[in-house]
Amino acid sequence: MKLELINLTKQYGNFTALDHVNITFTEGIYGILGANGAGKSTMMNLLTDNIPRTEGQILFDGTDILKLGRDFRRVLGYMPQQQGYYEHMTAQTFLSYMADLKAIPKKQARAEIEKLLEITNLSDVRHKKLGGYSGGMKQRVLLAQALLGDPKVVILDEPTAGLDPKERIRIRNFIADLSRERIILLATHIVSDIESISDQILMMKKGRVVGMDRPDRLIENVAQEVRESVVPGHFSLEDVYLYYLGE
Amino acid sequence: MRELGRIFSRRRLTLGLVLILMLNGFLFVREQRENDYGLDLELPSSGFIFVDGTFMTTQEPVDAWAAYRRYSEWLDRARKLPLADAVTMLTDEKAALSAKITGDTDTENDQLDYVAVNNLLAQTDYLTGYGGWLENIQKNKENLLTFSIFNDPDSFSGRNILKTADEFEKLQGVELTLGTDGAVDSFMSFRLTDYFLLLVLLLVALSFLEERKAGLWSVVHAAPNGRFKLAIRRTLILFGASVAGVLLLYGTDLALGFSLYGGFGDLDRAVQSVETLGRLPMLTTVGGFLVRFFLLRIAAAFLVSLLLWLMLTAINNVKYTIIVAAGALAVEYSLYTFLPVQSAFNILKYFNLFTYISLSDLYTNYLNIDIFSYPLGIRSISQLALIPLCLLLTAICVYVHCHKKPAAGRDLLGRVAYKLNSVTDKFLRRLHLMGMELHKTLWIQKGIVIVVLLIYVVFGLSYTVSIPVMSSAEQAARQYTTQFAGEITDGTFARMDAEQKLLDNDLAAYEDAKAAYDAGLFEYPELDKYAREAAAAQTKSEGLSKVRSRAEELRDKGAAEGFTPWLIDETPFESVYGSRAQSNQQQAALVAVLALTLLLAGSMVYERQSGMTYLLKSTARGRGALILRKLLLAAGMTTLVWTVVYGMEVYALLSSFDIPAWSASAKNLSMLTAFPLNCSITGALVLLYVFRWLMLFCGAVIVLLISSRMKRMEVAYIAASAVTLIPSVLYVYMGIGALRPLSLTLPVAAMPLILSAGGALTDAGLALAALLATAAVSTACVSVQARGKS
Repeated sequence: MKLELINLTKQYGNFTALDHVNITFTEGIYGILGANGAGKSTMMNLLTDNIPRTEGQILFDGTDILKLGRDFRRVLGYMPQQQGYYEHMTAQTFLSYMADLKAIPKKQARAEIEKLLEITNLSDVRHKKLGGYSGGMKQRVLLAQALLGDPKVVILDEPTAGLDPKERIRIRNFIADLSRERIILLATHIVSDIESISDQILMMKKGRVVGMDRPDRLIENVAQEVRESVVPGHFSLEDVYLYYLGE
Repeated sequence: MRELGRIFSRRRLTLGLVLILMLNGFLFVREQRENDYGLDLELPSSGFIFVDGTFMTTQEPVDAWAAYRRYSEWLDRARKLPLADAVTMLTDEKAALSAKITGDTDTENDQLDYVAVNNLLAQTDYLTGYGGWLENIQKNKENLLTFSIFNDPDSFSGRNILKTADEFEKLQGVELTLGTDGAVDSFMSFRLTDYFLLLVLLLVALSFLEERKAGLWSVVHAAPNGRFKLAIRRTLILFGASVAGVLLLYGTDLALGFSLYGGFGDLDRAVQSVETLGRLPMLTTVGGFLVRFFLLRIAAAFLVSLLLWLMLTAINNVKYTIIVAAGALAVEYSLYTFLPVQSAFNILKYFNLFTYISLSDLYTNYLNIDIFSYPLGIRSISQLALIPLCLLLTAICVYVHCHKKPAAGRDLLGRVAYKLNSVTDKFLRRLHLMGMELHKTLWIQKGIVIVVLLIYVVFGLSYTVSIPVMSSAEQAARQYTTQFAGEITDGTFARMDAEQKLLDNDLAAYEDAKAAYDAGLFEYPELDKYAREAAAAQTKSEGLSKVRSRAEELRDKGAAEGFTPWLIDETPFESVYGSRAQSNQQQAALVAVLALTLLLAGSMVYERQSGMTYLLKSTARGRGALILRKLLLAAGMTTLVWTVVYGMEVYALLSSFDIPAWSASAKNLSMLTAFPLNCSITGALVLLYVFRWLMLFCGAVIVLLISSRMKRMEVAYIAASAVTLIPSVLYVYMGIGALRPLSLTLPVAAMPLILSAGGALTDAGLALAALLATAAVSTACVSVQARGKS
């Protein structure tokens, strides 16, 4: 399974939000790090075909996702950064509705919803309307819907925003436990969320990918470059983040 | 000021208030028109003829507005004379006009004059009889007190008789003068404003709950100025809203009333000069009464607003408070409406929240109620209690606001809701996309309320009009049409000939009788009998001649155009679809378009407002399949509205008339002379209703397009209404012809387009093509937007 971004560019007028990005994603968890406005969400929106590209291609197993259309969306699980939900629906109904939109058979959907409500710790409040949920609970419902249908490509835009530490660890571990036979893109600016679970880290700045490697290699590379200024053994991914993305 | 700014910076509230104000003014003017500007339009020749099981009016409608202008002219003439002379002059005029009208020598002007004079005389009757009415009250006192059951001075009855006589005694000698009463009458009788004011106050009071909905109650409660100071500010805001609401809403009514009816210069008359206020035992002028009424109205509005605030804030849970407030209002309204006047608990009827809402009742009725055997006037009690009640409620509201703890109390309703949701969830999870779209529209967006209201409104719509029978010959023609109804054959003409022969016999018999009378063989009464029979035969002959001409015309047309000629009684079709029923048709179309707009305007924008657009588009069925469901939903809602509105029309047609000619060619109907298709009446009606469905569906698709372009629900509702309704309202009700091409109700009603072309489908075809093209473009736009990128 391969998801390729070839020369992918997005411009809003004169502003370039994504600048000729070339990446190939295979099975694994990809942490995408970048400050606000780095182009993470633009890349996510292009991958979900929610905004038109200016230039370039996105190929899934060699075919453009625009050509694949519904077939690509069948294998896609997406959790947007902006919390979108129907406040008058309960979590149970919302997930059932999303399962229907994802063309998941009713029986399968019922079992999956049970499991996901359990994982996201929402079983006890499943019949409460989403409008009455806290920010963290809403976040968990959105994560649950993204994982409905066992998607092969999972795009999570700031999945742990608004969660308390306990919930963040719980969700992080759950993502880590997801089958490795899928592509998981996890955009965040919270370094600790991805440090331990990502197979690869992407550093984005001003619409460009400024670094991409395994977390330990990134740390090692940066440590070599700035060896004289840091104390060995105390170098972390946050330092890498600051090295690449700091002013 | 910040609190005031917070409340009125909410666009939804401000828009709601502006809409209420506009709707109030529009409905006020509409009611005046529907009530014929308070005039009795009956003419002396008017009456009803019973034809085919239906009462038919024999009077051509009189233009009410022209009659009112004529009334104003006569009023100016009459008020220059002393009242007695004016009465004499008007009585003479009425007699002369009446003679002209019954003698069939009248003109349209005479009819307008008659209506004006007749109404003016009714007004003078009241004025001249008022002194006598006052005297009667005093006489009644003397008479009643002679009965043992009334003359106990310690009983309620005895005290009530004395009190009534005493209160009206001070009006003795009050000088009543003729003047324009329309503005004050309409102002006092237009009840909708009372409820619009209640709605305004409710909206303002509800805005105080915003902090609870936003989860900020604890923050506000913990702030240094969040208790007493905020409570005082809110009290002042409620008072300000009461003042502004009363001045704007009732001021609009009064200003519109004066501009329609005139009479601004008549404010210095004694208040009893206006018949509506004749039972008010108070010495004041009309102007003085209005000032007093406005002040009391403001105080009453403030009291009502405090009560609403108290009801809404006394309970922590917002939904629970709304349910309790709705329940309390329902109980009060039931007591106010249904409790009998004679009930021992009638204090609950009059000392009621709705007494303060429908304040005008206090001034148009005189009533004392029994309080421990003492008669107390409902007006006095209500007025006296206003200020103390306002102060008391202010204190309670402030206390509750300061001492109510945000985190206190158990959420009992939340538990009930959770249980209820668990049941509905079991049902909802079985629904597929279409079912969920229906759920969103009918339940989440409260479409079910629109449907219930639609059914209620449709039951109040009028679908038939009576077709006037202007002469006896016309009545005879209608009877012969019924008698000879059916396929036109040689036999039909033979039967007509036979009937004509019978009539000729009657005419000949009269000629013979006349000769016999001249020869002295008959007495006059016998001749008179023949004369009356001959007159009837003459009338019938004229009617028969009309029917024969129509039959011949249809026979020739049938032969030329290839359809079977039928003689049809067209009254049912004229009554429901004809030119006289156009107002009904437009009204039904307007109701249908309004209901459809309100049902669908939120459909697309709801996804955007919920922030779901990106998420939906990332799913397999969130683009084309979802849009298809939305279009199916539009078709479903169209069918629902169409069934309710036009199902009632068909029911009205079938239940009011017995129609044997369903299979006859539609071309046999006068209104469809130029109808291009050779189909039966049933077929033509099916086409008509299918056409209406199509037009409604096109409208529904346009609403979907507008909805898809908006970001917020309320803006979508306003924009969709502006496109689908405002041109229609302005064209149909205000007569702005330039908006005809944009009026959606015109093609939905369809018959105005068909009738204006004499039954040809040219205009209807053009409308169909234009709307289908617009709907197709709209569908394409919605589809492209949904399939493509945001």
